[in-house]
Amino acid sequence: MLNKIWAGLILTGILFALGQDINDELQNTFQNGVIHPVAFTPVNEQRHSSPLNLLAENVQVTLLIDEYKLIAAIKNHQHLHIKLDQQSPQYLQDIGALHGDKNIIIASIVSKDDRQLNILLPELHWRKLRAVTQAAFDMAEFAVKLAIGLVGIMALWLGLMQIAEKSGMVNCLVKWVRPVLRWLFPNIPNNHPALGSISLNMTANILGLGNAATPLGIKAMQQLQELNPHKNTASDEMCMFLALNTSSVQLLPPVTLIALMGTQVSELMIPIILATSCSTIVAVSVAKLYARTNKQNSEPGK
Amino acid sequence: MQQLSSLIIPLLVLGIISYGVFKRIAVYEEFIDGAKSAFSIAVNIIPYLVAMLFAIAIFRASGALTLLLNLLTPVANFLSFPAEVIPMGIIRPLTGSGSVGVLAELINTHGEDSIIVKITAVMFGSTETTLYVLAVYFGAIKINKTAYAVQAGLIADFAGFVAAILVTYWYFS
Repeated sequence: MLNKIWAGLILTGILFALGQDINDELQNTFQNGVIHPVAFTPVNEQRHSSPLNLLAENVQVTLLIDEYKLIAAIKNHQHLHIKLDQQSPQYLQDIGALHGDKNIIIASIVSKDDRQLNILLPELHWRKLRAVTQAAFDMAEFAVKLAIGLVGIMALWLGLMQIAEKSGMVNCLVKWVRPVLRWLFPNIPNNHPALGSISLNMTANILGLGNAATPLGIKAMQQLQELNPHKNTASDEMCMFLALNTSSVQLLPPVTLIALMGTQVSELMIPIILATSCSTIVAVSVAKLYARTNKQNSEPGK
Repeated sequence: MQQLSSLIIPLLVLGIISYGVFKRIAVYEEFIDGAKSAFSIAVNIIPYLVAMLFAIAIFRASGALTLLLNLLTPVANFLSFPAEVIPMGIIRPLTGSGSVGVLAELINTHGEDSIIVKITAVMFGSTETTLYVLAVYFGAIKINKTAYAVQAGLIADFAGFVAAILVTYWYFS
C-alpha cells in the first residue's frame, strides 16, 4: 500500500507538471520569442524631452504591456528592468520568479523609435517541471535538517524517560492503564518495558506534547521491535500503535494550533476532543480488524 | 488553556527528577544513558524521511492538488459542506508545515469566527501527519514493510475529517 501511495504521489506529480508544461508550450503562455511593442512615457517628462536622449540614461519610464501599466527603468541602452507587483499579469510574475525575482523582469530592447520600444521578454520553458525538481531537492535537504533537528529534543526526552523508568514512575503509570493496554496490545508480555513507553507516549499525546510524544513513541517502537518475529515487517502491535498515534488521542490542543488561533482554541476544545475520539475509535477498530483478518489468513501482511 | 500547556512540561520535568532523586537514582548518569541513542535514531530516520518528503514535495509543487480539489468541489456542494475545508483533509496526512500553511491562509481570508476556519482547525487538531509519523516511527527501527499501518492511519484520518465536519456543525448550531 505504501509502495503504491509513494509511487502514486511521484508519478501523478511529474505527469501533471509535464501536462501543464506541454499545454503552456502549445499555447505559448509565456510569450517566448514574441516581440512586444510597448508605448512608454518618461516618468519625469520635462527633464527628458527627446525619447532617444532618454534611452541613453538610467531613467524611469512607465509603459503598457497587454493593457497593464508598469514602471520600468532602462539600463545600459539595451535592457529594460520592469517592476512587477501583485496586480501584474500572472505570466509576467511567473517569468520573473523563474529568473530569480518575482518583482522584476529584465527584458531586452530589440529596437526603438519615437515613443515606442520593441522588447523581448526573457524566455521561460518547462516552468512546472523545474518547480517540481526544485521542490524535490529542497525537501530532500529539509528532511535531513528535520531529522538532525530531532536529535536534541529526542535526547532530552529519552534521558528523562530513562530516569522515570529506573525510578519506577513508569510502572505506576502502567498499572493504571494496564487494562486498556491489555486489550489493545494482547501479545505484549505482562512486564515488558514496551508497555511503559507506550503509556508514556499516549500520555504525551493526550497532553498535546507533540515533541515529547515522538521520542517516546520511537522508544516504544524499538521495544516492540524486540518482540517482532519478522524484523523488516511491521507487527500487529506496531500497526496498532501507529494507528493510535496518527489518530492523535488528545485532551489539550496541539501547541501549533494555540499559536495560530490564540484564545479561540478554547471554544474548539470540545469539538476537537469529540472528533479525535471518533478517529481514534475508527483507528483501533480498523487495526483490530486487519489483525484478525491477517491471523485468519495466517500469513504475514504485505 | 495556554497557561496549562506551558505549565505541563516544567511540572513533568520537576516530577520526574524529584521522584528519581527520592528513589536514590543516579539521575545524571541515567539521563546520559537514555539520551545516548538519540543521534543514531535520527540518522536511521533520514532515508525514510527523504523518501517520504520528496514524494510529497513533488506532488504539491506540481499543482495536482488543485486538480483534485476541482474534482472534489462538486462532491462538497452535493453534501452541502464548504469545499474550502477539503485542502486540509488532503494535506494534513501528508505534511505538517503544509497544513499549518493551509490553516493560516484560511484564517487570513475567512477570519477566525467563520465556520470554515472552525472546521479546519478541528481537523487540524484531531488528526496527525500520518505519513510523517509513519516514516519517523518505522524509520527508527528500519522497517520498510509497513503491513496495514498506512491503511489504518489513512482510514482513521478520513474518519477524523468527516467527524470534524459533523461535530463542528452540530456544536456551533
